[in-house]
Amino acid sequence: MDIKPIPVPAQGTTLGWQLDQPYRAKHLLWLLLVLAVLLFTGHRTEMDKMVVLTGQAVGNLVGLNDESQVVRGLSRVGQSMWPPAFGTEEEVARLTNLDRNNLPFLATIETHEKVEQHLNIDTLQMEESREKVELLVKPLGYVWTVFIKMLETIEIAIWGTLFSVVLSIPLAWYAARNYSYNKFTYTLARGTISLLRSMPELIVALFLVLAYGFGPIAGVLALGLHAAGFLGKFYAEDIENADKKPQEALEAIGAGKVKTLWYGVMPQVVPQYIAYTLYILDRNVRMATVIGLVGAGGIGQELKGRFDMFQYDHVATILIAIFIVVFLLDQFSARLRAKLI
Amino acid sequence: MIEFQQISKKWPDGTLALADVNVRIPKGQFCVILGPSGAGKSTLLRTVNGLTQTTNGQISIEGVTLTPASAKTLRRRVAMIHQHFNLTLRMSVAANVLAGLLPVVSTGRAILGWFEPAHRAKACALLARVGLDSKHLLRRAGELSGGQQQRVGVARAFMLDPEVVLADEPVASLDPKISREILSLIRDAARERNATVLCSLHQVDLAREFGDRIVGMRDGKIVFDGTPEEFTDERVEALYHGAQWEDQPAVETEDLYNDALQPQLVAA
Repeated sequence: MDIKPIPVPAQGTTLGWQLDQPYRAKHLLWLLLVLAVLLFTGHRTEMDKMVVLTGQAVGNLVGLNDESQVVRGLSRVGQSMWPPAFGTEEEVARLTNLDRNNLPFLATIETHEKVEQHLNIDTLQMEESREKVELLVKPLGYVWTVFIKMLETIEIAIWGTLFSVVLSIPLAWYAARNYSYNKFTYTLARGTISLLRSMPELIVALFLVLAYGFGPIAGVLALGLHAAGFLGKFYAEDIENADKKPQEALEAIGAGKVKTLWYGVMPQVVPQYIAYTLYILDRNVRMATVIGLVGAGGIGQELKGRFDMFQYDHVATILIAIFIVVFLLDQFSARLRAKLI
Repeated sequence: MIEFQQISKKWPDGTLALADVNVRIPKGQFCVILGPSGAGKSTLLRTVNGLTQTTNGQISIEGVTLTPASAKTLRRRVAMIHQHFNLTLRMSVAANVLAGLLPVVSTGRAILGWFEPAHRAKACALLARVGLDSKHLLRRAGELSGGQQQRVGVARAFMLDPEVVLADEPVASLDPKISREILSLIRDAARERNATVLCSLHQVDLAREFGDRIVGMRDGKIVFDGTPEEFTDERVEALYHGAQWEDQPAVETEDLYNDALQPQLVAA
């Protein structure tokens, strides 16, 4: 075998080149500058104080120091939130049409003795008066209330998503550069999408509550308008980025824009559209719990009410419910996505 | 019949893709366009259905001049078969073939996917004609092999019984055996309908075998026009020579090895 080695370096090879270096002295300078800015803003956003307080909290937990503001605050909240409220108690006397022989599911009537202190005006001494009070106790009464409110929240989210999908389909058509009629419609659609996306749900809901009053209407509209900005952008960009080859084949025979879109683009983008829509549904459920805070219906309205009445045990129940719903929805959408794509 | 009269095309960057092309292709002819890459073959094909606008000149198809106004109706009479098959891969084979009818189907029916029984029967018949088993009918086009995809592409092209078939390097990515089968399908299906075929190719042997006529192009100009018999090896050499080799460095391998015996450091 007379295999000759490959000559290194071959004649005429120049080695006066290098691959692009990712970092240079310039980048180090930028890094220093960024660090300086972070130090400045870190003080303004009290990040230094946060570190001190957290350190105190950790020290308190391991027994190094006695006093920690953070631990004290958290334990106070924790104590008032635990245990979460599951049941309800109502005075029987206040219920007008209660059938004693046919109580609601799981409900029982309990008798409590109520002790009240009175000042006797004649003797100027405190006197105790005992009174027997009958209470209708529903052990899962509050869980049921939260369930109903949660259902309303999910309904708001679903309708908001539906609203946004319906609104974003025409927006996406006009906002896709290669299907919009002209530059004006394109710019108009893109502008609308940016405007919708730039308005936070909470602020929109605040204004819509003024217009439509408290309740789910404001919630559905606020969620729908904001999400339409997202979906319109995503849908339009998928149309623009879809494989051009089938579209060209249909254009070549003169199929027309709508039919080309339906047969050349839609089959390519539908799996992505489903993924986007599921994400928006997930996001809307989470946002629907929040926009209730400004009175736009659902669990958030209940949460705000209980919070304002310092009933933290009820707040705890609501937070647990929100967590369970978000978790279940995550599982559900992951499965649906895997099945459809 | 396709008639090109003084066609020229200048790209926005100033490159001249077509320079004064004059050709007349009679009805029913299988005309092959040959030439090195970048000669303007695809551009010439795409001017016929208006996918590429010409800078100058006039094209007429069956006596009708191609204008922006007449393009819409003319496109229905001109089918196209593409190098990359250009199927909607996530759609079924049947839907891809039926998509060939979109110009004559109402938008509502197209969106709902309600095609008339006659249309569906025609799709089945054409799929059988191009040699695709009916078991593939509802499979996704993306699951098919390259050769099968091009069969679907041919079936789609003939759905509207075109008078002109433009085939833009239809077999560039297929093996020689399947290339012959596909080209035979295009030729025979076109003959049955007396359709004119304008087909660009890279393989000289296939061009000689299938073409009634060979048009050689280079740098946007027609440099050869004649029958396969007239397209001799010298003509082939003349058509391609210079274009393929001009960029290659003229280094003898033997020199490289000799240098290796006395390694030289090249200044960095």
